[in-house]
Amino acid sequence: MPPRIRSSNCPPQQLLLNYLDAPLPSSLLPLHRPLALAASSNPSPSSPSCRLQPQNPQCQQQASSFSTSQPREMTKPQREFRSFLKRMGKQFETHEGNGPRYLGRLQRMDNTPFPSNKSFKSEPVLSSRARRLIWEAVMLRGMPLKAVSAQYQVDIRRVAAVVRLMEIEKRMEKENAPMAIPYARAVEKMLPRANLESSEEPFEPINDVHVHSFTMQQLFVPVSESREFTRKDAAKAFGDHILPPDHKMRIPELVEMEKDILNGVPQMQAEKQFLERTAESERRFAESQKYVAAKKDAKKSKVDTERFEFRIENFNSEAVGKKGRARNAVGWRYGVPFNDRQKGLYKIPTSVG
Amino acid sequence: MRCERRILRYHSLKRGRVRQTWNKYNLYNLHKMRSTVSTFGTFFQQKWAAKAATRAYHGEHIKEKQWERMFSRRLLSAVNMDPAYMAKYDGSEQAAGRGSGRDVKPAGKPSRDGKVEVREVARNTGNAEGMTPYMQMTFAPQERRLDIAVYRALFASSARQARQFVVHGAVKVNGKKMQHPGYLLNPGDLFQVDPEKVMIATGRKKTSNSESISAPKEPAAEEEAEPSGEGEATEATGQPAEELSHEQLKAEYLEGLRLLHQHAKKVIDANKEKLSGGHKKEIRELSKKIKEAMNKARRAGTDVQETGDDMQNLATLMSQLELTPAERKELAKEQEEAETTSESTPTSTTTPDYPQLKPRSMPAPTTTNSKFDNVESQILQRLLEEEKINPYDPSKPYATPWRPRPYMSAFAFIPRYLEVHPKICAAVYLRHPVARPGKSEIPTPFDTQISQLAFNWYLRRR
Repeated sequence: MPPRIRSSNCPPQQLLLNYLDAPLPSSLLPLHRPLALAASSNPSPSSPSCRLQPQNPQCQQQASSFSTSQPREMTKPQREFRSFLKRMGKQFETHEGNGPRYLGRLQRMDNTPFPSNKSFKSEPVLSSRARRLIWEAVMLRGMPLKAVSAQYQVDIRRVAAVVRLMEIEKRMEKENAPMAIPYARAVEKMLPRANLESSEEPFEPINDVHVHSFTMQQLFVPVSESREFTRKDAAKAFGDHILPPDHKMRIPELVEMEKDILNGVPQMQAEKQFLERTAESERRFAESQKYVAAKKDAKKSKVDTERFEFRIENFNSEAVGKKGRARNAVGWRYGVPFNDRQKGLYKIPTSVG
Repeated sequence: MRCERRILRYHSLKRGRVRQTWNKYNLYNLHKMRSTVSTFGTFFQQKWAAKAATRAYHGEHIKEKQWERMFSRRLLSAVNMDPAYMAKYDGSEQAAGRGSGRDVKPAGKPSRDGKVEVREVARNTGNAEGMTPYMQMTFAPQERRLDIAVYRALFASSARQARQFVVHGAVKVNGKKMQHPGYLLNPGDLFQVDPEKVMIATGRKKTSNSESISAPKEPAAEEEAEPSGEGEATEATGQPAEELSHEQLKAEYLEGLRLLHQHAKKVIDANKEKLSGGHKKEIRELSKKIKEAMNKARRAGTDVQETGDDMQNLATLMSQLELTPAERKELAKEQEEAETTSESTPTSTTTPDYPQLKPRSMPAPTTTNSKFDNVESQILQRLLEEEKINPYDPSKPYATPWRPRPYMSAFAFIPRYLEVHPKICAAVYLRHPVARPGKSEIPTPFDTQISQLAFNWYLRRR
């Protein structure tokens, strides 16, 4: 029976070393024990460290170096990671060629950055050439945005955004502002691109209709067999305020054009009419915007001094809501403290503009 | 609000969490991710695991409470309506017959003139096939956040870095500085990041070796934690017998370039007083070019012929630069005479700085017999232009000339709800992301099943 350890001053491994004659496995040895010290304390050739010598060729080397501890071995995940980087991952290190290179390649799924999620594909972006095309159509040829959108099959909001961004670019070029040109080149090479040529697939759906949550339920509406139950009736069935998709079309002029073509109007003429209609709708929209702005402006009385133009607006100070804290209430009211400095209140702006 | 969550073993190989970064560890974890879920444990445990996995990717820097407040069970989707279909049908054909549309008879037999009778089937085209992946939209509200939008627009290499850019005031929204990473973008908002910051975030790291040493190492050796030496070894040690001659040739060219470089230095040192400022600048630029050519030649896989051509071109240029303007004129005259006599192909003199001359004296041990022809001069001009756009500039905090950081391309994609203009580092948030039949717009590495479990977790019916 081994002797009992009375006090905790002496580490149990040391005790074991003293008591046991038999050679120890290396794992039991204290890790930071210098070999030289171990040899001096136990000079006999049967000491465990020296016994290990023939098996471990590094032993001699370690004795001469500063640290005697074994170098940490790589764990299995680390090993696998290294081998991945050297073999399969090698192709992703530096981008070569012209076009995307995603992880999906390893499983023959191009344009799939996440191999486990097949519903997400990296879709093409507009190339710089395509952006210029759009900009020229809008700014130089003066085409209505709706017509540009229909011609290139690009969402109307994207058309507007492209024009906006190109204008900023041109302004920055004029101002000699710093731009990330090498970055832009590299990024363009890494992404799938669309040049908006007629031979390509349509870039994106341009007549998106938002799916209203009211229409996501299943309804059973009894209808007589003789009745024509149209989209309008279906919308009405879902709710009084639900609009049929005909009213939600982003470019309703396109539907009109198709109707004209069905009614025997020649293609060229129908397209011409489409252009006229879109231009007209754009003009009307601009007018209504102008009208709204003018009306808003008319409410303000202006006092022009030399330095400033004071714009004075009438407000009803009584309209403060039930609790006196209405959002657009004006001024400070007695007994209603501002809590805009209170802790935990959400103070991030909701719009910038 | 302000305190950040601690990043503890962010890219742990053992746990294998996938994050919103372009890190190489992340690439490996993404590669290792299993696509199928094993149905272990109770439903609660499955939901818990799914939530943990998805939240490790989707805005792990956002506090759970904050995300719970942001979460919405309303999942947005859209359907394309084909105008041709809308014009032709009013929808009543879908309710015809017994209430679910008439049966479509299969296509009839081919008639006598060989045409197959085609029955027109009322169909709304323009949508992809398949079900709408609503469950992949679980984390859609996060994509509205400014920091995540900056990351998605490829302006930062991780969502956390994007957050830092916002906090540090490098991001503008509609032309105004916005310092809240949690700002929720509205459709039509334009955000712009400082281009310099973007170059730092997406460029290669500057290492002490890559910038200070006159002849930079090859790019592979630049990487940290890579067992280097392989690249150098291939150059120095034995090659397969068939490639030996190629390698020797390359080495010869490299030696030539080196000598040329030395020569350029000597010329500047020797004629400090004689040379004009512009002249000196030209020579200095040339020596930079030489260095670049050497660098290119060292890289594995470059064409030997290309290297040789580079050397010849540069040598020619060098020989011209050594001349004084008067001497140059003389030589130009000589050349003109030669041309008029021989009536050779007209050479364009598009570059007045580098007139095309015959090599007069070869400073390097080169054997240039071929003329510095049109195509080569064009190539060189292109190189010079590139140098202007993407210069070597040790004052920059990233490795110059700018190159994309390693493993960037595997993560480079732009979702459709953004319109990005990389040149000016600006993007427009067009609309909220939506699910479409067969497609989802939320970039998530997870399977539908896992997303669904996570969605169920946040419904708070546990």
